[in-house]
Amino acid sequence: MSGTVGPSGPVAGVAWSQKHLLDVDVLSAADIGLVMKTTDAMKEILARPITKVPVLRGRNVTIIFYEASTRTRVSFEVAAKNLSADVVNIAASASSVTKGESLVDTIRTIEALGAHMIVMRHGTSGAPYLAAEVFSGSVLNGGDGWHAHPSQALLDLYTMRAHLGDLRGRKVVILGDVLHSRVARSNLWTLTAMGADLWICGPAPILRGFDAWAARWANGRGPAGHGGFTVTSDMDAALNGAEVVMALRLQRERMDAGLLPSLREYAARFGLTRERLAAARPDALVMHPGPMNEGVEIAPDVAVFDRSVITEQVTNGVAVRMALLYLLSGVHAGGFPEGAIGG
Amino acid sequence: MAETVNAGQVRVGDRVARLEISGAWLVDPVAGREGPGEIVVRDGVLEAVTWLEGADAEGVGPGGVVVAAGFLDLHVHLREPGNEDAETVASGLAAAAHGGFTTVCAMANTTPAADEPGVFARVRAAAAASGSPVELLLHGAVTVGRGGERLAALGELADAGAVGFSDDGSPVQSAVILRNALLYAGMLGIPLFEHAEDPVLTAGAEANEGYVATVLGLKGWPVAGEVAAVERAIAVLVAVLPDAPRARLHLTHLSTAGALDAVRRAKAAGLPVTCDVTPHHLGLTDEWVAGARRWAWEALDGDGAARDPWADGALVAHPYATACKVNPPLRAAEDAAAVLAALVDGTADAVATDHAPHTQVDKEAEFGLAANGISGVETALGVLLAAVGARRLTLARAIEALTVGPARVLGARAGGRGGARGLTEGAPADLVVLDVGAAWTVSPEALASRGRNTPLLGRDLPGRVLVTVAGGRLAYRDPEA
Repeated sequence: MSGTVGPSGPVAGVAWSQKHLLDVDVLSAADIGLVMKTTDAMKEILARPITKVPVLRGRNVTIIFYEASTRTRVSFEVAAKNLSADVVNIAASASSVTKGESLVDTIRTIEALGAHMIVMRHGTSGAPYLAAEVFSGSVLNGGDGWHAHPSQALLDLYTMRAHLGDLRGRKVVILGDVLHSRVARSNLWTLTAMGADLWICGPAPILRGFDAWAARWANGRGPAGHGGFTVTSDMDAALNGAEVVMALRLQRERMDAGLLPSLREYAARFGLTRERLAAARPDALVMHPGPMNEGVEIAPDVAVFDRSVITEQVTNGVAVRMALLYLLSGVHAGGFPEGAIGG
Repeated sequence: MAETVNAGQVRVGDRVARLEISGAWLVDPVAGREGPGEIVVRDGVLEAVTWLEGADAEGVGPGGVVVAAGFLDLHVHLREPGNEDAETVASGLAAAAHGGFTTVCAMANTTPAADEPGVFARVRAAAAASGSPVELLLHGAVTVGRGGERLAALGELADAGAVGFSDDGSPVQSAVILRNALLYAGMLGIPLFEHAEDPVLTAGAEANEGYVATVLGLKGWPVAGEVAAVERAIAVLVAVLPDAPRARLHLTHLSTAGALDAVRRAKAAGLPVTCDVTPHHLGLTDEWVAGARRWAWEALDGDGAARDPWADGALVAHPYATACKVNPPLRAAEDAAAVLAALVDGTADAVATDHAPHTQVDKEAEFGLAANGISGVETALGVLLAAVGARRLTLARAIEALTVGPARVLGARAGGRGGARGLTEGAPADLVVLDVGAAWTVSPEALASRGRNTPLLGRDLPGRVLVTVAGGRLAYRDPEA
């Protein structure tokens, strides 16, 4: 088989072994490398006049989101359609979920309707594991509770590598509401796997538990292949010499829950402004998983200035999700056969 | 080797006409004695208990067939009335007998709650109809509907035989109600069983606050939520004692080092405080929620600190198994070690199972939405024997905490079974015969409980119960023995 049926860039000797993608904690550096290389191939497809390839033709990808989301849901939908999958979109509020149907029943129903893959967003940590137990196809976690957001962490990583190359020893700062952030947790796994010098920074009440986590992983005592990381509430120390600064969304509910005094105080102490950013390297990347509260965790002029790669994250998101859908579909089980794909 | 002779045709509920066991290891926790011996049961009566010495005792040890007084569980949920899909009185008593228990104390959080004697009557009628010889003792609710606002009919419940008062499932949230309940229950001479939890600190909690919950993104149930509640309850007890010298506070299912330290200090100060711990809080840890399946004592490093299941390859099952969701939650290995230490040193008076059966529907849900509870009355002995096998606990102390320990907590209302009486010649036989050296596999088929919600499913546990005799009647017999 030849021609423009699939992504180019064979990756010799690396096989994709995961049936589901529920968390990034199970991915080795080699697995992550395979996702990155496959994403390169998908980027190439996205640069073509026609961005559609038939690799998932006849496959049903059902996207079910139990939480409101625009960019992630649309990104998965565009990714699946670029691969010619049949896409079914279920917004949980519009389905029988509101009639009290259990998650297990919903997943069984989706399977009976012909789904080969499920992309799921859920407000409860761990929910995709329950779906994966019931569903015979592949489950791709589109974000679960505070736990994991694998495709986001992988697109973040892809974006960082596009600018910095090898991340070993490079200082990356995640700034803000880490406690409630699945993006932070997944980035923590992937960035420590890549050897980045990861710093986590924010006010103490929303870093709760992370000092203890960092202590567990200190001095090479973490999981094999993962380095340690630093946790601090000292923003200047965190930003000093940083090459990447990722701000996280701060939700108003945190004030209502008594975790923080006010948005004003947060913006003053932990908001990412041009002035604070001066402590970072002059070419530091500014990232944000979106949606942004401009003027709270990130100043408007920082969000749009020339080192901001926030819109690039969105574009890369489509390519990474194409790569993940492709790898999980198993259409080329065991990796890319030499010659089976090509530009 | 032990030899067992029995009539063979006896069915559950029938009087045990004849049971003779020789060459067994006898444990009489009331007499404080254990050793080689033999027993003879005739027409339901423990006719002879003979302690062997010399040549007769040779080769008989605590690792084989053991005969002990029947066990007493201070804390089970039988779900009837109101949730018979999860458990009935009949299935719960059958499960208890399979676990070696001849007396169980049912909690009051049924639907409706046992806040007046009419509910007791219904539960007792179900027990009588079951034909089970396991003795059923009842806790009454502290407040009407367990709502925390008005005192339940405590006096009437006492007259109807309540052995304790508890809003278990929930703490008594108001310190004023707790004070008044301790005064009233103290006047009646009945202990208050408190489920110690600060509900503000634990609002929305899903798992023990700590490393595992942080990594898994689960909302934390902090240790402070139990410690604060225990210290508050003890402070309130101290305040009522001058007015109610018979007031007694029992803290159930304690799971943290801090709470057990508070009890240790209270006992040292001579306060009338008792407590129990569960098998799952001493044998299992929060890393089971992440997918580890090793015993708590295997999850500690050489310095007594919890190991990292992500770092040492201990994750063998899927994370977020709802069978591991329980309140209070499975704790870190350091706390589990403190729970076991409290059992060993006597700070914990008893092992209670907090047997909490649930339907598959209530457990087959997202972790945060799944019901709390572990079905535990049938696996309690196995978990304790695993600790015995690991030399973390002695067999004698384990049996004591299942018999005379809980009987002392109940005092005069403990009932007249083995747990309170021991292996007494001339009394109705109330005992359990188990083979410590034989394992059994925890499977849905092996469980008599309707609740199969245990993270031990699929695991081999030591200590097969061969026969349970309750009040002279057969309560359980191993179908293969």
